[in-house]
Amino acid sequence: MKLLLGFALVSSLAHAASPSDCWTLVHHGQNARACFTQLTQSSSAYERAEGAWGLEDWQAANENFRDAAKVASSHALVKVRWALLLHERFNNAEAADLFREAIEQDPNFAPAYLGLATVQAEDYSGNPNEAIAKALALNPKLAGAHELAAKIALDNDNRELAEKEADAALAIEGEATSAMATRAALELIADRPPDVWLAKIAAVNPHDGAAYMQMAHHLELHYRFNDAATYYRKAVEKQPELWAAHSALGIEEMRLGRAEEPQKELELAYNNGYRDPATVNSLRLLDSLAKFKTVKDASTVLILDPKESDLLAPYVQEELHTILATYSKKYAMELHGPVQVEMYPNHEDFAVRTMGMPGLGALGVTFGQVIAMDSPSGRKPGEFNWGATLWHEMSHAYIITATNQRVPRWFTEGLAVHEEGQRSPEWRDRVTSDILLAIRDKKLMPVDKLDRGFVHQEYPGQVLVSYFQAGAICDYISNTAGEAKLLEIVHAYADGQDTKQALQSVLHLSPEAFDTQFLASIDKQYGKEAQGFDVWRAKLKALVAASEAKQYDDVIANAPAVIALYPEYAGDANAYELLADAQHVKGNATEEAKALSAYMHAGGQQPELLKRLAALQEKAGDASAAIATLTRVLYIYPVRDTELHKHLGTLLMAAKQYDGAVREYAAAVTTRPLDMAGAQYDLASAYMAAGQRDKAQETVLLALEAAPDFRPAQKLLLELQQTK
Amino acid sequence: MKRLLLLLASFIVTLHAAAATYYVTVAGLGGEPDYEQRFTANAKDLDKVFRGIAGAHVLTLTGTQSTAAQLRTALAGVAQQATANDDFVLVLIGHGSFDGTEYKFNLVGPDLTAVDIAAMCDHIASKRQLVVDTTSSSGGAIAAFERSGRIVIAATKSGTEKNATVFARYFVEALQDTSADVDKNDSLTAAEAYTYASRKTAAFYESQKRLATEHAVFNDTGRGEAVRDAGGGQGQLMASFTLLRYGAAQKAASDPAKQSLLAKKEELEQKIDVLKYNKAAMDPADYKKQLTAALLELAQVQGELDK
Repeated sequence: MKLLLGFALVSSLAHAASPSDCWTLVHHGQNARACFTQLTQSSSAYERAEGAWGLEDWQAANENFRDAAKVASSHALVKVRWALLLHERFNNAEAADLFREAIEQDPNFAPAYLGLATVQAEDYSGNPNEAIAKALALNPKLAGAHELAAKIALDNDNRELAEKEADAALAIEGEATSAMATRAALELIADRPPDVWLAKIAAVNPHDGAAYMQMAHHLELHYRFNDAATYYRKAVEKQPELWAAHSALGIEEMRLGRAEEPQKELELAYNNGYRDPATVNSLRLLDSLAKFKTVKDASTVLILDPKESDLLAPYVQEELHTILATYSKKYAMELHGPVQVEMYPNHEDFAVRTMGMPGLGALGVTFGQVIAMDSPSGRKPGEFNWGATLWHEMSHAYIITATNQRVPRWFTEGLAVHEEGQRSPEWRDRVTSDILLAIRDKKLMPVDKLDRGFVHQEYPGQVLVSYFQAGAICDYISNTAGEAKLLEIVHAYADGQDTKQALQSVLHLSPEAFDTQFLASIDKQYGKEAQGFDVWRAKLKALVAASEAKQYDDVIANAPAVIALYPEYAGDANAYELLADAQHVKGNATEEAKALSAYMHAGGQQPELLKRLAALQEKAGDASAAIATLTRVLYIYPVRDTELHKHLGTLLMAAKQYDGAVREYAAAVTTRPLDMAGAQYDLASAYMAAGQRDKAQETVLLALEAAPDFRPAQKLLLELQQTK
Repeated sequence: MKRLLLLLASFIVTLHAAAATYYVTVAGLGGEPDYEQRFTANAKDLDKVFRGIAGAHVLTLTGTQSTAAQLRTALAGVAQQATANDDFVLVLIGHGSFDGTEYKFNLVGPDLTAVDIAAMCDHIASKRQLVVDTTSSSGGAIAAFERSGRIVIAATKSGTEKNATVFARYFVEALQDTSADVDKNDSLTAAEAYTYASRKTAAFYESQKRLATEHAVFNDTGRGEAVRDAGGGQGQLMASFTLLRYGAAQKAASDPAKQSLLAKKEELEQKIDVLKYNKAAMDPADYKKQLTAALLELAQVQGELDK
């Protein structure tokens, strides 16, 4: 229906066949080739553009639109239609510019606002509802605006509004197939048959693949990945030449971890000229993935870059086994088959996996039992904790399975955030300045509407705030009613209850009553920090200035007060680090360690600061604390750091924790250090200490093969022989 | 061929075990206090390491001593004393410049060109020479220094890499850090020091998230382009050029009573080298068996040497 946008205004431009006539044929699934060919003969550049577009001659369409737009008397519609062409051909940036130019040219032209909203909705950028409201204010009978509003509402899981907007569109335009697709998707999401709506769509256009694509999209956003694939498949069956659907199907199949189908579908789309970034980048990713290394055991499949697979696989596999054991017990269920984890050292490769998906998508994403995430080497040290991300994503795998994909976004995200904190208090979601400001400005959402904060943001940073709020809600339920209640809510969703019903049945609270209690707890916990945020910022600024001026006594005197105002702040220029630096200059190692320890417990993750703390702990004779501190670094940045593994291995050896020493020395070997023989000897010694003599012999021979005169290794070899 | 070269390399090491090595280190003009201090510190660290080597002849020029005249005198002195069997090592630390055709090493007062310095080195009888030019633009000096029997290491791949370098720092560190001795034979070769310094230099730029402005290269065949990695004939001489020996190796090498054990040790080392060379062509089990036996025997001989 979007192609019909605004045609009412141009009927006066029509000749024998108007663009509107041709696109109406398309909308009804009829052959419009002759109609569009006729348009290409027109003396009007605009009509030639529409004709070329209909014949899929994108270049000619673009050039003719450009010519048409140059005419001083051209209508804003020309720019809107040109922008829609660009939007269809994967250029949303220039499309948005043209929509804005059209608005500038004619501020009362409703389709221009609708076009802008269309681009914003697809990119999850800006606030498309604002532009829709403007369009409808100018033209209340613009059915397309209601259709788009319905789609956005359903993306946000605002089902009532989605239904209302779809019906509004249908009241204006009886053949509004996108509105029908929204209604069909609503039925599917509610596990009701969509047949009535499918029949209505077929009556308008029996070959309307786009409507099925839209249904698939809504299913995808409701975690119904298998169903989404089914509907993308139906879309290509209905309209085999709908290349966008082939691409979407290929990407969905990729997300489901399927082997050959993605390549086939994506290539089909690509070879037929559908070369949007998602298609091109997904094909590129499939090429990269072919070179990745697969490490399997009975319950896990790891897909890792060969350059780091030897290093990461043992850590990830061990953590996954812990997670599987923990969640299986906690959620009283087993996953069906192994879980697949893909780790991408190139963030762009990971980004391909989340293209077209709403929300953060920045660290990891779960598609059923397939998890894609950044590798620690894909992020700057200190930016990312792969362990926390794995616990988070695995929680989704369980909850989505446990509820048969019937769970609101806020709850599965909230529970995943909560699980990070359950694994380690240092991994729990920290209040950022955006979150404090949202708390202060009363921007938290009611619990039964919280899903709306995850997809189409109403203000910058709302998605992050929503993650925090969802996690805080689960923390609150756990703290006040017990952890078991969270599982009961999972079961409630699995039984088909919505949030209102689930809260009522499990907590015996209405959403409003729950909100009142929860917001009071948030106010109690963070109200002071939120109110004192500006004071904290001013005091931190002064502390940074004192540190830069080397006024270390001032830093030592004032840092505790700054920390007390906002203890969770462990980002750049945090008071903990400034205090530690000042104590260091003063030669007070104990206080320096105390400040760094507080930083660590506040969730600080800069590897260099943690290693500095470990060194101080070791120097103070507390080797076990140093081991614990360095072990934390393994979850943050275990890559490109031979010394970390070597040193931790040495500490573990000294502590007689031989299995850990083997793990760390083996990790050091995988980093291909300059001193390879030395690293292999360390590993052989750890094997020997752990009683694994065969491995000790094998490894010491590797050390000696590289360095035959390596005395300690020679001695170990002799020892192994003598005690054989 | 490689096997022969390996054997030849070991032979050369044997012959030179008792020969002397002449070390000349020059910290050129810093220009700024920071550089002056850094260059002098690097040179003094090297001086300390070299003076710890038994029988080493060490001469180090820093600060105001670092003039063209002093360097000429120093190298002329080596030329008078060193015999063909003695090794010669020249380390240049500081700033260099390259105008497209000529490299100059910055000294107090008039600078010296690479051609000047090479000519002085040519007067030294030592058949095996090592020139380590750690300065900026040092890649521009390679062609002038190249000569058969001379290893040339430069901190930069060309004369156009003009930024101050960090290679010297890691070259010095290589001589202080026993982990640079990757084959653990208690001797540090020029190749090991080069590899250590190159990798540490690259890691430095990576850790600083800076674009690397220096890429060390070497040439030890006396002809052709300098290279970054061994291969194609390059690297053989550098791998056999011992810069320093640690503790026991140094002591054993100078103990006449242990010469037969040393000979046995070298025989076993050669056997292991040959085995490793033939590894691809051997049955894996047989290779492992023979290697284990040779390594065990070598360990026992080493045990005797250490007594």
